[in-house]
Amino acid sequence: MRILIVEDEPLVAQGLKQGLEQLRYTVDVASSAEEAESFVQYESFDMALVDIGLPKADGLHFIRQLRARGQNLPILVLTARDSMDDTIRGLDAGADDYMTKPYRLPEIAARIRALIRRSNAIADACLRHNGLCLDTRSHTATLDEVPLELTNREWAILELLLMASPAVVSKDKLVQSLAGWDSDITQNAIEVHISRLRGKLSSGNIVIRTIRGIGYRVDAPEN
Amino acid sequence: MRQKTEAAHGKTKPPGLRRRLIIALAVPLTLILGISSLLDYRLARETSDSAHDQALTDTVFDLESHIRSQSDSASLELDLTKESEAMLRSNAPDQVYFSIRDNSGRILAGDEDVPEFPTPKNNEVSFIDGIHRGEAVRVALHKIALPASELLITVMETTEKRKESRGRILTAMLLPNLAVIVATLLAVLFGVRRGLLPLEEVEKEIAARSPNDLREIDLDASPREIQPMLRRLNDLFSLLREASEVQNRFIADAAHQLRTPLAGLQTQFDLAVSEGAFLNNDGRLRNIEDGMLRIGRLLGQLLSYARAEATASLAEEPTSVSLECIAEKSASTFLDAALEKGIDLGFDISPATTVGIPWLLQEALANLIDNAIRYTPRGGIITVRCGETAEKVFLEVEDNGPGIAEEHLDQIFERFYRIPGSPSNGCGLGLPIVKEIARLHGADIHVMRSAANGLRVRLEFPGLRTQA
Repeated sequence: MRILIVEDEPLVAQGLKQGLEQLRYTVDVASSAEEAESFVQYESFDMALVDIGLPKADGLHFIRQLRARGQNLPILVLTARDSMDDTIRGLDAGADDYMTKPYRLPEIAARIRALIRRSNAIADACLRHNGLCLDTRSHTATLDEVPLELTNREWAILELLLMASPAVVSKDKLVQSLAGWDSDITQNAIEVHISRLRGKLSSGNIVIRTIRGIGYRVDAPEN
Repeated sequence: MRQKTEAAHGKTKPPGLRRRLIIALAVPLTLILGISSLLDYRLARETSDSAHDQALTDTVFDLESHIRSQSDSASLELDLTKESEAMLRSNAPDQVYFSIRDNSGRILAGDEDVPEFPTPKNNEVSFIDGIHRGEAVRVALHKIALPASELLITVMETTEKRKESRGRILTAMLLPNLAVIVATLLAVLFGVRRGLLPLEEVEKEIAARSPNDLREIDLDASPREIQPMLRRLNDLFSLLREASEVQNRFIADAAHQLRTPLAGLQTQFDLAVSEGAFLNNDGRLRNIEDGMLRIGRLLGQLLSYARAEATASLAEEPTSVSLECIAEKSASTFLDAALEKGIDLGFDISPATTVGIPWLLQEALANLIDNAIRYTPRGGIITVRCGETAEKVFLEVEDNGPGIAEEHLDQIFERFYRIPGSPSNGCGLGLPIVKEIARLHGADIHVMRSAANGLRVRLEFPGLRTQA
């Protein structure tokens, strides 16, 4: 895994580099958009961490150029600003996720893993989560390499929860998404499906948590 | 609070515009009306008096017609029968006294006790006021020149009728005049109040503003006379607006600038930890970690506060916001923090829509939930609610933590106020941010004791119907 860090503050850049290297990533640091530009032209990266506030050309500009050239590596934006406006501009420019400074190394590592996982899932059409694997192409599921039998609705619910993880999915949203399958599905029916899913996943390391009054979520995967 | 005490301790307050106008109008008007009533009364009295004098003159001439001059010059005779004299004297309720004297002062006829008055110079009937038998009288004097001698006819009349008619005139004039004066005063009071109403509205509009509301006053809606003053006020507002924008920008920039080195520091610290730097000193590790987290949080809060204030002066366009969505989003944000403390974070939400600025409302709720998680002990219960009542839309967070003692309730919304001895590492900006955002949305904040003796903070927004 090769990661490009675009950050002008050496303290931050070196810290990130060392931290990620400890996690066995290969890391390059560019201290300006121009330098990063030349990096990506000659080398290939699996992921980029980009600070928005760079000297001269800013991070957003760099991301736009990258996307314009059709490079679709996952990009995590690092920003000292956390106003809605900035984050939306970042995502609009083509970033996949953002983090607000100050952040902790473990958090960054988790986001990087999630982004890489997501981009891999798009590539191999597989949703993976702590030993669970939903192959969206063949519509087969395995838990710790053991085939897992899921009904259509269980599959749909699990897919929604995994895609959203670690965010919470409301029962309303589940009902709405499943309405296409069966127009009169109720919130009670959802509860029944969830309890069956929990049963089927009990041997593995997947936790479907109930959030009182809202819905469910699958806890973030461990690594 | 401060303004009130200042007003109470104020030195001599200059009189208000209304009072000045009322005094300036009412005093001269009352004086003018009073003087004119007095003059009217005097005129009416003179008219009535001269009518009475005329009647007295008639009596004098009546008497004169009864004087028979004898051919011999020395003696005179009063040809007055008892009936005629009775007629002459009948003037109820007034008493009539008369006398006729010759030029030596001898009484030829009439009442003996009629006093002697100086003889008038000419032949006209003249009048003077006098007192007879202890009563005020009006005296008519008439000199008759006879070939041989002069006679002086004196007729006196008590003044009952005059007093009576004066009294009647007085009442007949006083009451309407008083009514006119009272009506004038009322008209002045009412007119001044009416006239100053637009001024009062401008005053109310300014008084209702918060210190951060520096929008311009609408000049077109105000009276022309005060427009120059309001224009100056608007100039001042725009200066203040600029100043507060500069200040907010400074706070935001400073927070931004501090965040990057802090991120670096934190990363270095994390590396040091992973390299085993604090292997034998867990307490120190946690202290440094807490300190850094606290600085990070403070910077975030400072930014939020500066932005909420900036929004107030920039008047960002509000949109329709579903509080249900806001609450749902916060579930994902705070679930892990709650799980870490073993807190049951739950929701009780029903559709609720208000008009506002979504990210600010999200921020307000985030601060309330963050506080609840911070101050509720391990294993506690936090419930986020939203919904609609008949007139209001509400958003509230309830916990079963220690609550807030009565004596601190006044201060918890002040910037950087922290309840003495509070255990967690808050920074005293959470509730001020909530307050600022609530104010921006015209929402009321209610701080209550929850059923479980914890804290329940409720934001009540005006309903959509009332907002339209």
